[in-house]
This record gives sequence, C-alpha cells and structure tokens, in this order.
Amino acid sequence: MESLFLLIPIAGIFVVIAIIIFIWAVKGDQFDDLNREGERILFEDDDTDKKL
Amino acid sequence: MSKSCFHCGDPIPASINITSNLQNMHCEFCCYGCQAIAEHICGADLSLYYERRESSAGSRLTEDNTPIFELLDNKQLYNQYVHQTENEHVIQVSLTGITCSACAWLIEKHLGQQVGIKNIHVNLSSSVATITWDPAQASVQTIASELQFIGYAATPYLPGEQYQQSRKEKKKAIIRLGIAGVGMMQVMMSAIAMYAGDLQGMDDIYRQMLRWISFIFATPVVMYAGWPFYKGAVRDLKNHHFTMDLPVSIGVLLAFGSSVLALYTQTGHVYFDSVTMFIFFLLLGRFLETIARTYHIGAHQQDALAAVKIKLKNELKTIPQQQLKAGDTVIIEPGQTIPVDGVLLSNTTSVDESSLTGEYTPITKRQGDRLKAQTINIEQQIEIHVENVGQNTHAAAISRITERALGDKPKVAIVADKVAHYFVIAVLITASLTYAFWSYMGESEAYWIMVSVLVVTCPCALSLATPVALTTITNTLKRNGFLITRGHVIEALANTNHIVFDKTGTLTQGNFSITDVTCFDLSLSKEQILSIISGLEQHSKHPLANAFCSFIPANVTQIKNLSSLGVQGILDQNTFYFGNSSLIQNIGLSVPKCDGANAAELSLYLANTQHVIAKITLCDVLRPETESTIKALKQQGIRVSLLTGDTLESARGILSSSWFDDFKTNCLPDEKWQWIKEQSNHNILMVGDGLNDVPALAGATTSLAMGASSDLAKLHSDAILLSEHLSTIITAISSAKRCRKVIKQNLIWAASYNATLLPLAIAGLIPPWVAAIGMALSSLLVVVNATRLTNV
Repeated sequence: MESLFLLIPIAGIFVVIAIIIFIWAVKGDQFDDLNREGERILFEDDDTDKKL
Repeated sequence: MSKSCFHCGDPIPASINITSNLQNMHCEFCCYGCQAIAEHICGADLSLYYERRESSAGSRLTEDNTPIFELLDNKQLYNQYVHQTENEHVIQVSLTGITCSACAWLIEKHLGQQVGIKNIHVNLSSSVATITWDPAQASVQTIASELQFIGYAATPYLPGEQYQQSRKEKKKAIIRLGIAGVGMMQVMMSAIAMYAGDLQGMDDIYRQMLRWISFIFATPVVMYAGWPFYKGAVRDLKNHHFTMDLPVSIGVLLAFGSSVLALYTQTGHVYFDSVTMFIFFLLLGRFLETIARTYHIGAHQQDALAAVKIKLKNELKTIPQQQLKAGDTVIIEPGQTIPVDGVLLSNTTSVDESSLTGEYTPITKRQGDRLKAQTINIEQQIEIHVENVGQNTHAAAISRITERALGDKPKVAIVADKVAHYFVIAVLITASLTYAFWSYMGESEAYWIMVSVLVVTCPCALSLATPVALTTITNTLKRNGFLITRGHVIEALANTNHIVFDKTGTLTQGNFSITDVTCFDLSLSKEQILSIISGLEQHSKHPLANAFCSFIPANVTQIKNLSSLGVQGILDQNTFYFGNSSLIQNIGLSVPKCDGANAAELSLYLANTQHVIAKITLCDVLRPETESTIKALKQQGIRVSLLTGDTLESARGILSSSWFDDFKTNCLPDEKWQWIKEQSNHNILMVGDGLNDVPALAGATTSLAMGASSDLAKLHSDAILLSEHLSTIITAISSAKRCRKVIKQNLIWAASYNATLLPLAIAGLIPPWVAAIGMALSSLLVVVNATRLTNV
C-alpha cells in the first residue's frame, strides 16, 4: 500500500500537465469554434480514403 | 411530388429541365445558377460536400460582392484590412451563406486548391474566414471571385473591440469550466476512496493524504473557477440586491474554509467534493447560456467593410460606406441596400421598404422623394443626395426607440433570486444562533455543529434546481429549432397567455408566389406563358421576379425596364409586355375584367402589341402551418393578436380576422410597442421578423424572432425560431410548462431536504460527514430529475 504515496502524486502531475495543455489549446484558438471541430474528423477521414 | 434541386434543395417546377451528369449521378437543378455552382464544386473533386452537409439547402448564387474588394486598391484601406509580412498577406472576411461544417470544409478545400493560397481557416460559429496568401501569386480580388464561384459572398472584415472583448471572456470561461471539470473529477476520486474508508476502515495516514490531494485540486477550482460568483456577490452587496451569487459564494467559501480547517487540525470532515461539483455544474449552466446568447447573431456585421459609389465633380469614385457624409451624391445599383437617408435625384425607381414597414410590395419613388436607409433599391441605378448618415438615419432612430423599450421591459423576477434574498439572512442568523447556544451550553463541538448547520442549509440543491432544468430544456429546444438567448424565457413562456404576431414574414412566407394563371389567348400553354415571363424578368432585381426564376427563361432580347409599370422585350420578333394594369392601359389595351379582386393579391398581365395574353396572380402566401398553429394556441386558451404595418384590406386578403382576438393594421413600429405596453396583461409573447417589429420585440415580456429576421430583430429578441416552423412555438410552450413543473419539484425537494435536516443539525445530531453525503445526493437527485426534460 505504500506505493500509493508515489502513484497518487504521479497521477496528480499528469493532471496538471493535462490542464496546462488544455489552457494552451484554449489560448491557441482551438476552442474558438465549438460548432465545427467535432465534425472535422468526418471530413479528414474521407480524404485519406481517397488517397489510398 | 415535385423533385428538388440537387444544389439548393428548392422544389423544381415541372416545366424546368436543367440537368447535369456529375460524379456518375443524374442531377437536376432549379436554375442555371445552381447548376453552375454544382458543376464547379464537382469539377474540383469536392462532391463530398453534398454527402456531408446537414441540410439539403446549398448556398445559391449570391449578389456579386466582389466590387467591395476593389476598395482595397486604396493603399490606406488595404493596410487597415490586410495584415502584411514580407511574402504573406492575411485578411479576415465575413461570409454569408455558411450553414454547416460541410460549407466550411468546401470553402477551405476549394480555396486551398487555388494557386498562391497558403492557408485558410473558416470559423463556423462566427462565419469568418482567415485567409493567408502569397501576394506574388494571388490577390484579394481573385480570392473573392473564387468564393463567389462556389456561392458564398465575402466581405472584408475587421473585428471590432466589442467582439475581441467577448472572445477573450469566452476563452476565460472555457478555461474556468475545464479547470472546474478536471478538478471535480480528481476530488471525486479521492472522495469515493474516503467514503469507502469510512465504511471499511482506513489508516489515518492514507486518509490524510487523500485529504491533501483533494485540497490541492479543489483550491484552483474554488479560487479561480469560482471567481465569477464572488464578483457577483460583491456586486450584490454594493447594490443591496441579493441574487443567488451571494448564498453560492457564502456556501462555497464556508464549506471550503471549514474543510481547510479540518485538514489543518485533523478533526472534522472535508467537503472538497461537494464544493467542486457545485461550482462545476453552476459554471456549466452559465456557459451554455452565454453560448446560446451569442450564437447565430451577426453582431459583428457592423465591423464589415461596405462599399458605395459616389459622384464627385462628375467623377465616379468608390469609397467605404463609413466615409459617406451629408451632401454627397451616392449611386445605388438595383438590388443594393440604401445606406443613408436622402433625396432621390434620378427620375424614378421603386424601393422595397419591408425592413422598415414590413410591407413587401415595392413602393414607387419619384424625383425629390425621400429615401430611407436600410431600404432596398429595386428597379434601376439611381443617384441620391445624402441627407443623413449613420446615427441620424431613420433606421438608427428605430434602434433608439428599441433601447427605450428595453428599459421599460416588464421584469420577470427569477424566483430563486427572490428567495435568495431572505434565505441568506435566515441561514446566517440560524447558524450564529446555533453557535451561540451551544457555546453557552459549554459544548466543545459547538463549532462543528455550526458547520453542520451551514452544510445542511448550503443551498447547493436549491441553487442548482433552477439552472440545471433550464440548461437541459434550452438544449432540447435548440435541437428542435428554438434557440433561447435570454435566461428568463422559459419561465415567461410557461406563463404566456397572449401571443402577438406580425404578419409579413412571420405568418406568411415573406415572398411572392404565383397563385393563379388565367390565359386569355388559348394558343399558348401555361408553361409557354411562364417561360416568356421568366425570360422577360431574368435580369430583374424586382422581388416579384423571384417568383418566375424557377421557369426556363425564353430567349427574350432587348429587355427594357419600364419604370413602375413593368418590362418589355422581344421574342421571335414579337414585342411582349409584362406588368401592372397601368402598363396595359399605356400600350392602348383594355384590362380584362375579373371578379373577386383580393387586396392582398397582385395582378400582373402579359400582353403583346395586339391583346392581353394572360393574367398572373401573385400573393404572399401563408406558411402552411399558420392556421393550425393559431387554432391550437387558441384551444389552449391563449389570446392571439395580429399587429401589422399592412393595410386592413391586404391583411384581410389572406388572413381571416376570426382567427384573432385583436386585428390591428396600419401599425407603425412605435405604435406596435405602444399597443403592447398598453395591455394590462404582462405575459405577452411577441413574434416578429422585420426592423419594424424591433421596438415591439424589445418591449414585450418575451419576444421571438424568426430565423430569417434582420440581425437587429434577432439581437433584441429573447429567443429565435431557427426552424422557421410556427408549430414549434406550441412545443416550446408545452416544454416550458413541463420545465416549470420540474423546477417546482426540484425546489420542493431541495427545500424540504434542507428543512428536515436543519432541526437535526441544530440539535447536533448530524455529524458533518453525513451532512456532506446528503448534500451531494440531494444535488445529484436534482440533476437527474432535470434530465427527464431531454425528450420533447
């Protein structure tokens, strides 16, 4: 059980990294267009299909 | 059943036969414009657009907008709108015609294929494209014409300060929401471990570690994400008007504070889980409300560049609209919106004043007549002597009336806020009395008993009860094409017992369709007649011409506009005339007598030099669901009124006055608002679309703008009917009633929970950790109850 003293803080560090990436993404305008990005993947997929 | 156009989705009349073979498919079109766009799109191997788009309505060939880009030849303007580096130029353009992500994809792909374009990004929410290109290989003008090819009109655009500000705030809100969400999940994980530990037993050292972890993740949520609530609470204290922000802040800070104390002294209970969950759900509700409010409103339109041509010492010059001043002579093309108030210098023209009056029939203007801003020139190129610009125009005056109306708006008090006021005071008094009592009794646990009281009374469930239900119903209604942009709409909709409709564009479709064709010359078929008319009208900007554009135009040449009469042209060496009865009299023919003339209808005649060939009747027809909607509303006991700028005769022509409880015609924008103000009943819903409805929309308790409304109408309404389907109003009202029921259940549950546990907590019978679990569960129940609203 002592491993928890190491594992939980490590998990915490990952969360902090995730939050930093999230803030970076928001500042880089990636959340500017909430109506569109969710569907972008549909289009890109078909593109690669064509190239293959 | 008629077929629909492959590109724009409009029905194709039987007489039309325009087809192409695209991507091995047989495609049919309603007009040559659509065919050209579709061939262009498929030719560039972008036919995926047609598979992916959400609605079958493609953007039709629009007004040629490219001349605006000629303005950018002016070096000073170019520098203002185009960001330049050594071999890269960047411009932002606002686009019209974008409806879904397929459009955005199409534009990015199509422009991306052009030579010299380095990068393009289309923002769907704001309809703005950012384009980067190499000035050596491309120019703004070529970019604009490429966009035009695939059916989108672009305008150079410079984001204004207000837009920048709202973007910054939105970003902050997203960060707050993200931090609250992630923080909540982490704290919850630790909390579950601790609850399990309470049941099974757990070493103190592990419990203390989990508490610290919770503390670390809860701190940014409380300190940063919860900031807007504290700001609101401070504002409340200054204004002496308490909203829910105050109890929320007190609850959050006390629960957090006592948890920190518990962590430090290693006694008592921590409430980090409840605090973070509470903040996250409240933030989510607020965020969704803000998004809905800014969605679909072209608030940035005022930042777009607009071009006008002026005559300066007999020389033509194109200048940006913003630089127009009184005394200039401005030249307006047919189809162009008049940007100023002024006097007509040309002989004659007709204008569409529907944006101001709601009346779609064009009005003839002669030399010396006054023309108003925001109206549309129809017939021919005209010159106008500018009298008023910008804030001094008639249209700007309407906006000012609107602002006044907004100020007078009857306030729908939000129940929760009213409750909050007394609630806060009661909680604080109870808690301090409890503490005083137990200290006086010499109880060592007095402080923790007080904390229990505060936690039990913490208005989590109470303050979540309303917003959660509202957020759910707002999203459900949005999926059904009913977009709510202000918070009080649901409560007001549920109370609505009086609906006021505008006529044109709201109950009717707002454009003319052919209702009848009477042939006097039996040698020509109906199709031939309509095809001749279509040929005569093919280049016309007159709104009536749209009714004919779906027929194959006959090859008519030498078309001449006969001002305020009609058109003439030559087909197979025969001269044809098409126009109103004065035109027929002018060419020396007699107008055939017909009975049962209806004031809402417009009769036009096709003639050659010898005789009248046919009479065409046009009418602004009702939406198909108008009658059934009005009847259903009346059945529910709702008073239905009509307020229109039209004349009594023309309103009677298509609407039966027996459908309505009030039938008011000839209303000016100001009068509509006054009429609504004079009603003793305050639960009025106003439904309208045009600029003339704007003051009434702003003044009514609740207002609903049609999806195709003017931007100003949308901006000042509380909700937007995106579906353009009147029966959605009925759905919305019944949903609002259900929502009110759920809110009531939630409030009763939350209040009775608080009320039952309070005496127990005061008596010191509830340990803080039980209070915390109870609080979390009661909040959860409220959330679950609200999700029942996702089905209409």
